[in-house]
Amino acid sequence: MSFKPDYQPFVLDGDQLRQTVINYASNPLYLDNEEWQNDDNPYRRQLRPQVLQYLDFSRVLQPDEILTYSALAANRLLTTIYEADLVLLPKTQFAERRADFTGFYSTTNRVQGEMIRPYLERHVFGFLDDEVEVTGPWTKDDLQAFLRRLQEEPDDQPSKSELAIARSSDPKRALRNWLIQFAPDFLAEASPMIRNVMGYYGPVQSAWFKVIIDEYGYGVHRTKHSTLFERTLASVGLHSDLHRYWQYYLASSLMLSNYFHYLGKNHENFFRYLGALYYTETELVGFCRRAASLMSSVFGEEADTLYFTEHVHIDGHHSRMVLEELISPIVDQCGASVIPEIVRGYEEFRVLSQIADEDFAAQVQWMDSGPENKNLHDPIWAKVEAGEITAPVAHLVEPRGELSNTHQHDADELCHIRSGTMKFVSGYDAHQILEAGQGTVIWGNRLHGAIIESPECVYEIHSVKDYRACLS
Amino acid sequence: MLVLTFAVAGAGNCVELEGMPYVFARTRVASLVMPVKCAHRGGPLHLAEFIGSDTRLTCPWHGRRVSVTRLLAQSPPAVRRGNTVTAVFRVPAGTRHTIRHLPLSAALSAAGPRPGGAGSGP
Repeated sequence: MSFKPDYQPFVLDGDQLRQTVINYASNPLYLDNEEWQNDDNPYRRQLRPQVLQYLDFSRVLQPDEILTYSALAANRLLTTIYEADLVLLPKTQFAERRADFTGFYSTTNRVQGEMIRPYLERHVFGFLDDEVEVTGPWTKDDLQAFLRRLQEEPDDQPSKSELAIARSSDPKRALRNWLIQFAPDFLAEASPMIRNVMGYYGPVQSAWFKVIIDEYGYGVHRTKHSTLFERTLASVGLHSDLHRYWQYYLASSLMLSNYFHYLGKNHENFFRYLGALYYTETELVGFCRRAASLMSSVFGEEADTLYFTEHVHIDGHHSRMVLEELISPIVDQCGASVIPEIVRGYEEFRVLSQIADEDFAAQVQWMDSGPENKNLHDPIWAKVEAGEITAPVAHLVEPRGELSNTHQHDADELCHIRSGTMKFVSGYDAHQILEAGQGTVIWGNRLHGAIIESPECVYEIHSVKDYRACLS
Repeated sequence: MLVLTFAVAGAGNCVELEGMPYVFARTRVASLVMPVKCAHRGGPLHLAEFIGSDTRLTCPWHGRRVSVTRLLAQSPPAVRRGNTVTAVFRVPAGTRHTIRHLPLSAALSAAGPRPGGAGSGP
């Protein structure tokens, strides 16, 4: 035998990674949409491949970069890659979407997604390596004391997002946008969790399956949690076909959902998943109680809150079950060396939850500030015209109907309309009409898009970096 | 068990219970919640530096050296999240404690080595 084994790790260099990402995202399914919403087509997701050449997914985002466009782009890619593992069907008209179905589940789409996935995960979640640090010798009793403390924390304090909705100039719009943020998780609820029910690992496997049975309504479709969430969406006038509102998802909302896929897809993170699961099941009890109350206060009796009230009840059980039937026996089975990973998952998901809470609260403020941002254009534009502000500028000419699919910039910008009409969109049901001579301030890291509503629109984007500094 | 959350740096970075102050130290060897009274004569270990050793801290009072690895093995289990640390002390839950500030030496304020995670690549 002359065979000499030469086992090499799988590696893409920077150029290979960039090219593979661009090729993956250039799938016709992922090109820009001409509409704001996808129409009952779970395979269509806007990944904006035309800008991916400018992003570097080979490096780890720092904590202050986790809401940048690179994070949004990477999370959109990751959601798309992870969901190729799920069975997704439109509600109707499958025949018309058959080609998209085939393309989404094609070998090329799946294999290229898998090639870039580890780099995207590192790009998005790598910052957690520094953000969370577990130390010291942990025992099972230490872990129990640590985890039980969350059950004792008061859960009646509203989150920043909840406060933002309650105080919004348009709470109904804010709350609809809030529900939209949950859609990628809640409509395919527990799918990441199911990744860990396969295999062979003893009694904990059966306990894990019990939690999933609850999520799936014991096989009765009308009680499946995703069905309850569909009712919630419908009760406030929203559609429930998967990823209809893709363009309105924030980076952090996708990141929350992707985190569980990331843990579930990579089974070396199995123990981390347990900690994150305990955190979310425990935290959801108070969250869902407050969410039901908030929905009722904003929408009145028309709001269907059963999704949330059901979780108030069942997640009390799930919190206990995860602790007593999953975590405790898995420590007995695998030993105390797995405890730091459990603690890490708990804290990592806490970090991500906090980021998402602050991100959405900021988005509500951004939507509410539309008229004010439009007014702020004038004094800043006057300084641009006077030569007091000089910033890099992009000159654009677009025809009627040209839809700038939602995106965000890493710093503040000033949009100025030379001629024509632009509908500037800052969230679901949130927009300003900009005519010639008008414009708007665009906050950094805030999701937005635009569509041209005149035969032609000539406009400029000035990269002013910090609009507040421009006003001083 | 007493589970306490306190700051990693700045105001409120020291927990004192049963007469012993503890801080979260980030040394070149490891990060840990460490008692800051030297076992020799109670010297201020929060001001200790690595002097003539890469792994042992030197107490500023009498130069007694203490191994970080040994401190780590005896330290309360803890987790740092950003600038916050939560530690589990093996004392009754109702044990009285205070939280205050202690300055830390440069040796206790450096980020230690980290295990691989998502950041370790494919």
